[in-house]
Amino acid sequence: MDPFFTAIESTALSIWLRESPSLWAFPFVLILHTVGLAFLVGANVALDARVLGLAADVPPTALRRYDVIMWTGFWINAVSGVLLLVAYPTKALTNPLFYGKLALIAAGLVLAQSLRRQLRDDKPLSPLARRMAIASLVIWAAGITAGRLLAYTYSRLTVDLVG
Amino acid sequence: MTLDSVLNAIEPVLRTTALGAWVRHSQWAWPVLESLHFIGMSVLIGTIGLFDLRLLGFARGVPYAALHRLIPLGIAGYALNVLTGICFLSGTPDQYLFNIAFRSKVTFMLIAGLNVVFFYTRVFKRLETLAPDAPPPLGARVAGAVSLTMWIGVMSAGRLLTFFRPPYV
Repeated sequence: MDPFFTAIESTALSIWLRESPSLWAFPFVLILHTVGLAFLVGANVALDARVLGLAADVPPTALRRYDVIMWTGFWINAVSGVLLLVAYPTKALTNPLFYGKLALIAAGLVLAQSLRRQLRDDKPLSPLARRMAIASLVIWAAGITAGRLLAYTYSRLTVDLVG
Repeated sequence: MTLDSVLNAIEPVLRTTALGAWVRHSQWAWPVLESLHFIGMSVLIGTIGLFDLRLLGFARGVPYAALHRLIPLGIAGYALNVLTGICFLSGTPDQYLFNIAFRSKVTFMLIAGLNVVFFYTRVFKRLETLAPDAPPPLGARVAGAVSLTMWIGVMSAGRLLTFFRPPYV
């Protein structure tokens, strides 16, 4: 895999992201990834909390108007996440936890979609919907934790550097 | 008495607390506290942030007062982040007290706090009787815009902390 990592790390974009002193390089991408996370996970927290009985006067289907906020957060993070990966491919792709984080995000999104399908007609909430809401909260918390731990668990920063 | 001289006096007090020593010396304290800080942030934005968007006219049809019942969860997220934030601050106070990003973050939080006072004294009562389809009044739009801007500013300044920190003592 090293030649592949080297190829990415020697692109102009990767070098600029890693080495530019501009706050619009790496710091701005980190800000995007954080704000996107807050809206992606936040919109799910709101719907999960509603399914679990908080703000019971809000019709769950009405709360789905915030789905577009969730997906906006998701796409901000898909793009900023790819940029972070372009900046440090070796760091992420040689860390098994990175794949765990991706798996948790995939599980969170699948669960978010199937929970929303359950809420289509404002039927009474099923015990299954409640279990899905709890699972969703646990999975997003685990995804955040996995992401945060990436900064502490990598073994190689770039092809040339050992962490 | 300047701000820096006051902070210079506070710094060693925070640093030598048992909490500060634990945060600095425990191998897992910092990553775990950071994860909790990001979880609290998501809970805050998922409740207070979504309510702010409603105040700006987004998600028309969602009843204002009913959606406001999410706010206690947001306050829990805020409390979690104040507590974890105090841990970071006690662990390495010099990294925060003399850091322009941290001072900006605290300033944004203070403005958000004043905005909370404005919202509950001038705006909230009128929302309780407002129809779910009615456009939000001007005061609600102002409160929603200020809150959302300040919390995005808090997150951005928080992310910039490491890029503005002074050299370690």
